[in-house]
Amino acid sequence: MIAADLSVILPEIVLSLYAMAALLIAVYNGKDAVASLVLRLTVAVLFLAALWVGLDHNDTRVGFGGMFIDDGFARFAKVTILLAASAVLLMSENYMARRNLLRFEYPILIVLAVVGMMVMVSAGDLMALYMGLELQSLALYVVAALRRDSVKSTEAGLKYYVLGALSSGLLLYGASLTYGFAGTTEFAGILQATQSGDLSLGLLFGLVFLISGLAFKVSAAPFHMWTPDVYEGSPTPVTAFFGTAPKMAAMALFARVAHDAFGAATADWGQVVALLSVASMFLGGIAAIGQTNIKRLMAYSSIAHMGYALMGLAAGTAFGVQAMLVYMAIYVTMNVGTFAFIMTMSRNGQPVTDIASLNNLSARDPLKALAMLVLMFSLAGVPPLVGFFGKYYVLNAALQADMAWLAVAGVIASVIGAFYYLRIVYYMYFGTETDPLDTVETPLLTSLVVASAAVMVVGIINLFGVEGFAAVAAASLVQ
Amino acid sequence: MADHSEHPASFWTAASLLPPLIAAALFAVFTTFLPAVAAGETLRYAWGWIPALGVDFSFVIDGLSLTFSLLISGIGIAVMLFSGRYLAGHPQHGRFSLYLVSFMLAMLGLVLADNLLVLFVFWELTTITSFLLIGFSHGSEVSRRAALQALLVTGAGGLAMLAGFLLIGAETGTFELSALREMGDVLRDSPLYIPILILVLCGAFTKSAQFPFHFWLPNAMAAPTPVSAFLHSATMVKGGVYLLARMHPNLAGTNTWLWTLVIFGAFTTVFASIVALRQNDLKQTLAYTTLMALGALVLFLAAPGGYAVTAAATFLVVHSLYKAALFLTIGCVDHATGTRDARRLGGLARRMPLTALAGGLAALSMAGMVPFIGFIGKELLYKGGLESPASPIIVTGAIFAASALMFAVAGVVALRPFWGSDGKMPLLDRPIREAPLPMLAGPLVLGVLGLYFGLSPHGLQVHVTDPIVGAILGDPDMAKELYLWAGFNLALILSILTFATGVAIYVFQDRIRERIVAAESRLMNFDALWDRLLAAIGTGARVVTDLLQPGIASRYLMAVFTTITLLIGSAILIRGLDIGTVGLSGVDGVHVVVFGLTIAGTLLAVVTNSRIAAITGLGVTGTGVALVFIMFGAPDVAITQILVEMLIVVLFSVAALKLPTLPQRLPFFHRRAHAAVSIALGAIVAGVVIAVTSVPLDLRLTEFFEANSYPEAHGRNIVNVILVDFRAFDTFGEISVVAIAAISAYALLRQRKTKGSQ
Repeated sequence: MIAADLSVILPEIVLSLYAMAALLIAVYNGKDAVASLVLRLTVAVLFLAALWVGLDHNDTRVGFGGMFIDDGFARFAKVTILLAASAVLLMSENYMARRNLLRFEYPILIVLAVVGMMVMVSAGDLMALYMGLELQSLALYVVAALRRDSVKSTEAGLKYYVLGALSSGLLLYGASLTYGFAGTTEFAGILQATQSGDLSLGLLFGLVFLISGLAFKVSAAPFHMWTPDVYEGSPTPVTAFFGTAPKMAAMALFARVAHDAFGAATADWGQVVALLSVASMFLGGIAAIGQTNIKRLMAYSSIAHMGYALMGLAAGTAFGVQAMLVYMAIYVTMNVGTFAFIMTMSRNGQPVTDIASLNNLSARDPLKALAMLVLMFSLAGVPPLVGFFGKYYVLNAALQADMAWLAVAGVIASVIGAFYYLRIVYYMYFGTETDPLDTVETPLLTSLVVASAAVMVVGIINLFGVEGFAAVAAASLVQ
Repeated sequence: MADHSEHPASFWTAASLLPPLIAAALFAVFTTFLPAVAAGETLRYAWGWIPALGVDFSFVIDGLSLTFSLLISGIGIAVMLFSGRYLAGHPQHGRFSLYLVSFMLAMLGLVLADNLLVLFVFWELTTITSFLLIGFSHGSEVSRRAALQALLVTGAGGLAMLAGFLLIGAETGTFELSALREMGDVLRDSPLYIPILILVLCGAFTKSAQFPFHFWLPNAMAAPTPVSAFLHSATMVKGGVYLLARMHPNLAGTNTWLWTLVIFGAFTTVFASIVALRQNDLKQTLAYTTLMALGALVLFLAAPGGYAVTAAATFLVVHSLYKAALFLTIGCVDHATGTRDARRLGGLARRMPLTALAGGLAALSMAGMVPFIGFIGKELLYKGGLESPASPIIVTGAIFAASALMFAVAGVVALRPFWGSDGKMPLLDRPIREAPLPMLAGPLVLGVLGLYFGLSPHGLQVHVTDPIVGAILGDPDMAKELYLWAGFNLALILSILTFATGVAIYVFQDRIRERIVAAESRLMNFDALWDRLLAAIGTGARVVTDLLQPGIASRYLMAVFTTITLLIGSAILIRGLDIGTVGLSGVDGVHVVVFGLTIAGTLLAVVTNSRIAAITGLGVTGTGVALVFIMFGAPDVAITQILVEMLIVVLFSVAALKLPTLPQRLPFFHRRAHAAVSIALGAIVAGVVIAVTSVPLDLRLTEFFEANSYPEAHGRNIVNVILVDFRAFDTFGEISVVAIAAISAYALLRQRKTKGSQ
């Protein structure tokens, strides 16, 4: 019994053991002297874990009496999370080392956060959900304040912590209401208790509080406030991490709760999620226009993109979940490339985040500028790049669920979105150069930018088959 | 763009030669489809692309798409030959050629696509390549602004169009144009017809620069001349017209369609021809005549009549031929003299005879003179106007005014520079020479074609206009014949009147121009409005951001609490809240004291301006809650609560000593807002708690533990049993964590002590 349970959660256990072992090794071997080694090892471990989880063709398995679910949906999310974390770590080594920020705790905290995310997406029970969420959050609070000597970084970390604690409180309040009225914390049990049709008042309130807490984690408006501050205050590699793996994990968890636990009450949460979606798309789009800091801009962009992903979820169908997964996979890929690009921006060795510093980049670094152009167009959803298909998927999901108003709102919001992505392109190609950026050779980062852009172009052939995996994943979640 | 003559580079480079060869090859391929299409066939090719979304990579060749393809690739040959010489030696010539060829391919994709989404993809690609080409001289502020403006206007329109396409897909279940054609009135009868129409028209009108979206097109003339000739006159801007023609079978036929197109088309065509007369820069003049032509095409796609559609089809070809030729001619003049100012050019016919010939031929076609194809086009426009179901007077009147003005503008563009006085010609340090052959070949051929089709219009009719009418109206028999001499009729009288008026306008052009300039200064300037709009968007975004994201944590908390209040509040509004009956029967003195204490503590925390007092107030509240626990028989919980409260008060007080004193009180408004949100949230949560507790809890767990704690675990205190038995592993884990934390704390303290002693 225990052996079977453990085999379900084996990847998570192995990663946790790895984190602890790495911690011990680093502590007993000169700490930061081995930071670089630990980081590289972690990159490899995360990548191998992604292969392991991805090549696993088991059917749905359930462990610990339903608390932990290993199904296609969880595996899709886990592979995305692991690959994203591995890529971001790989990008950060040089950046962190040059700015004397490379601490051995950094990769270890990332692994712990990743384990938390993996538990989140596999959660089959409110307890497992909360445990995963807190493991992730606690690691992230620390990582956000990694640059201890910077006021901005510590302030960002603290704000994140305060608001995060508040959202955890809301989530717990919702969980206890749900528990009180469903009589169980297990998702399957909640689903049974809500099968009768109308939600009881207690469950309805529980659902609203749960959604509020989860909306904070996906940084959907109006629970988004921490995002710009944390994105700006954290070191760029950490921001890159925030923009990728945790987003996927939180969206997957959202889908998990919505369908596994409250799948019988689609109508009740569909409207709320649709509202969150519209608010996020418009707020993210409008607020991004006024930004001059590219990291803040990416923060608002992430809010808007979460709005689109939520649109898929709001549809409340298996196709909607598939659309959301495809969207998130594309989004994470684009973000990895974009942040790799931001990490290459520096002047006199200091990181620069001012958009105007990109002026006329195309003349000095045509390859990188072209790759960034592709990424920006893809983020804006300009056809025929892959980003367009992500948007198209979720719009289609909304339409199929008879939410034409939501789809039209999405298209209008994407007009606004196009505006600020194109501004970056405009600066790169048509700006008048003032103070040029450093041309430090960063082959790894540049190749990641180019690779990510290439994916956006080549992917239009068949999206690398992601839609097939996503369809299988969605089918395993929504029955 | 006349400054490239200083690069004495060769024409014989890949960047110069490849593009015209590619265009020629494509043109040759498309001509092979002519017989089949003339025979009324429709060819369709499809490959699966994203089956899950119902998107196939499908293309269709019928009269409409084949004519467009031939125009695109054919004029492409002329333009690319021209630009190969025009830009020879330019440092970014290679890039330019790449953009131009990419544009041509995208444009071909647009007109050949059978799937609405494929069409949209190519539509946006033409927008992007147009953006890159307008901004090609990126050293110039004017070009950059024009490029961005064109991109934003047409890009936004394109996205609106996508929304329209999605609605079409939702209504009909297909994105294939060929399938949509078979569906008849499905869209016209749909409740979403008006939204779909508005969204699709937004796309078409922005692309084809209809009033009030017209302002980007004259600005786009910042692009090199071959680009203006190709994209912003002959092909890309016709994309909107193409879309209207394509959607004609599904969307046309209603009064909404008819009147919208008539009003926008008629206004654009008259307005543009008046403004065209006013321009001094010949390229600007041509830009406005392009607007006129686009307006006329929209106007004639309004009505489903045979003459109207034949007229639109003919005029489409006529305009592309003469306008591309004129643009290229102006490019030659600009190249040779360095200016495009109509007031200064004159007498060039002697020094540039072939350029003059090309310009003259094209201008005669534009003026609608016999025996050019332009004359046939104009006759058809009149006939179409006279049978228009909208209002023959409006349509014919608009065409009459526009044609007369076009006649005068043709004189301005071709007569003056070549045969006018050369008194004001700028002095150049080099002789004005005839343009080189690659630049001349295109305009000459296009000009001659205008004459050829005028003399023998039958070929054009069989291969172009009949199939187009067939594609749009579904019945090629509705197409009208193209005649040079159709007998003495009303259209001919109108033509003669047009010539007379045109001559009069040409003669008095200077006086008319003054009047137009004077009138213009008193009217709205859309270009300036655009700048104001962009500035307003920026300001608005900043205001919104400052409001929502001030960086102050308390505002963030406000936003979160407000949202929660609204969410729960609306749930209550929808479901109603049954809080049962709350009686005060069981209340005694102890209750009053305990709850009074709790409330007083809360009030103290809210009102005070000192951190210590506030935390003490919260401590009092917590203690009050602990007393409540005691009163209702849970002393263990109460003890925990009191211990936690004490710990928090002490720890916070220690921290508070290090914190700066609280700032001045918040402004009155903020305090009120905070109070309102707090009270609302408090009331709602209290209501929820009362309502929720008035429903019986699920007591299965309580019953389980009551039944099993003694028999299975031999303990009477259920809480203890749960801790040490039912959840023993949890407790064990907790103890381990606490122990580890204690050890770490001890280690830290020890380290500090040793450091301090050193």
